[in-house]
Amino acid sequence: MTMKIDCPFAAKILTVFIKEELAKFGFKKGVLGLSGGLDSTVCAFLAARALGPKNVLGLIMPYGTSFGEDVRDAIGAARLLKIRHKTIDVAPMVDAYFKKYPTENRVLRGNKIARERMSILYDFSGREKALILGTSNKTELLIGYGTIHGDLASAINPMGDLYKTQVRQMARYLEVPAKIQKKLPTAGLWTGQTDEGEIGMTYAELDEILFHLVDERESKEELLARGFPRAKIEKIMSKIKSSEFKRQLPPIAKISSRTIGHDFLYPYDWEK
Amino acid sequence: MKIALAQISPHLGNIQRNFELHLQAIEKARREKAGLLVFPELSLTGYLLKDLVETAALDPDKSPMFKEFKALSRDISLVLGFVEEKSQEKGLFYNSAAFLDKGKVLHIHRKVFLPTSGMFDEGRFFAPGRNFRTFSTPHGKMGLLICRDFLHYAAGYLLFAGGSEIIIVASAAPGRGLAGKNGFATSRMWELMGEAISRFSSAFVIYCNRAGLEDGIVFAGGSFIFNPFGKRLVQAPYFKNDFLVQEVDPAEIRRARKNWPFKRDDKPEVILEALKRIVHDYED
Repeated sequence: MTMKIDCPFAAKILTVFIKEELAKFGFKKGVLGLSGGLDSTVCAFLAARALGPKNVLGLIMPYGTSFGEDVRDAIGAARLLKIRHKTIDVAPMVDAYFKKYPTENRVLRGNKIARERMSILYDFSGREKALILGTSNKTELLIGYGTIHGDLASAINPMGDLYKTQVRQMARYLEVPAKIQKKLPTAGLWTGQTDEGEIGMTYAELDEILFHLVDERESKEELLARGFPRAKIEKIMSKIKSSEFKRQLPPIAKISSRTIGHDFLYPYDWEK
Repeated sequence: MKIALAQISPHLGNIQRNFELHLQAIEKARREKAGLLVFPELSLTGYLLKDLVETAALDPDKSPMFKEFKALSRDISLVLGFVEEKSQEKGLFYNSAAFLDKGKVLHIHRKVFLPTSGMFDEGRFFAPGRNFRTFSTPHGKMGLLICRDFLHYAAGYLLFAGGSEIIIVASAAPGRGLAGKNGFATSRMWELMGEAISRFSSAFVIYCNRAGLEDGIVFAGGSFIFNPFGKRLVQAPYFKNDFLVQEVDPAEIRRARKNWPFKRDDKPEVILEALKRIVHDYED
């Protein structure tokens, strides 16, 4: 088995998914956060194809002026696609909070920034009658590399079954600007942050191990036999386990005869 | 005879809208002078019903929609998928397919193999059927299967042993795996089975799969017809809605069975006895 995908066919499925899923709920517009990075750019390319450029709004939400280059790349991608875009600096809102409750903990600060962006996306979702397109890929979702109710929040997620490696394949197929394709992936929560630096391995290694563990349902022993280092396998397995809460709705204590999530089970596309 | 396949995307749990979809397809098939029109699995209800199963259920003897379908079947045979609950079997919901012809329901097949693992949860919501029966129609002897039934090759054999010359499969098969070229990895297994069962049963295999998306699940489409020599006569595109009409020559059944006497040489009584011994020898 291989992680290589038939990109034209995948693009067709994902564009139909975006268009139909929105239409089922009476929407024709989508809004997404545009960071200038690979995932959100690929998502914007798919959304523009699915909905038409005029029906896509990219919100560029830097914290202050520290990510000027990313903002320029995001604007460049939006212009290239001819989608609507708007830049909103989240520093005033985030700083107002931390002035009252100061912290130097950059994870706390980063999570707050991610949730400020989420809050703006939902506000524009309401203003624009547009549904939020998630941009979290399968790699991030599996290891929990995202802020719950922050960048993980969305109405539909066309990217969630593509590993980062596959997002890269899609980016090549969709002809995403080379500069964005070559960028080091970052969550953009503080300057100098890179995904691979934080996770402690490259996406190529990470995705290969995830692919065997998740898609191929192989055991730790089988991965060891394939020659993957024990420390990396164990680190990834532990990240998957410890981030399960980010992939589910909170458990409800069952005290009645029929309980939401346990035995009150309806499809998302109910009568759509 | 002309056979029409309606590769549609039903609206999940919205039976009225699906009823309209059926009427449109029937009208189209009549205009094309098709003798038989096949819809996918659960075509009247959508697939991923979960707790909507009970509200989607209907009794074909009493349902006003079935009354209309029966009336429409006067000049075209219909195969459609629905949730069945008979008034004499209250609370038992079957994933069923009906064959309608000349104003009557000639046969109802209740899905026997309900996939309940991985992405599938049918065993939780449906009661299993218990039979594979061949029935006579003006087009020849036929058998119905629903989706996963077809992947259990004994199901195809039982229809063959029962004399089916045309095997109809109503399906709601998702597409998974994009590693290959031209479509889903999982579509291959349906096509493989279509080729094998048609060739080794010397029977037509008519496979109508659905298209569209439900809760992010992608249905593969790719409906097809194989002739009794195992040759694919036609195939619909993957994933998207389609309506195809194919002329088939029923004389091919006789030709195939003359050339390859699998049917003449079948030994159901030997198989039955061997099965009895296998079942008898099961360890607890």
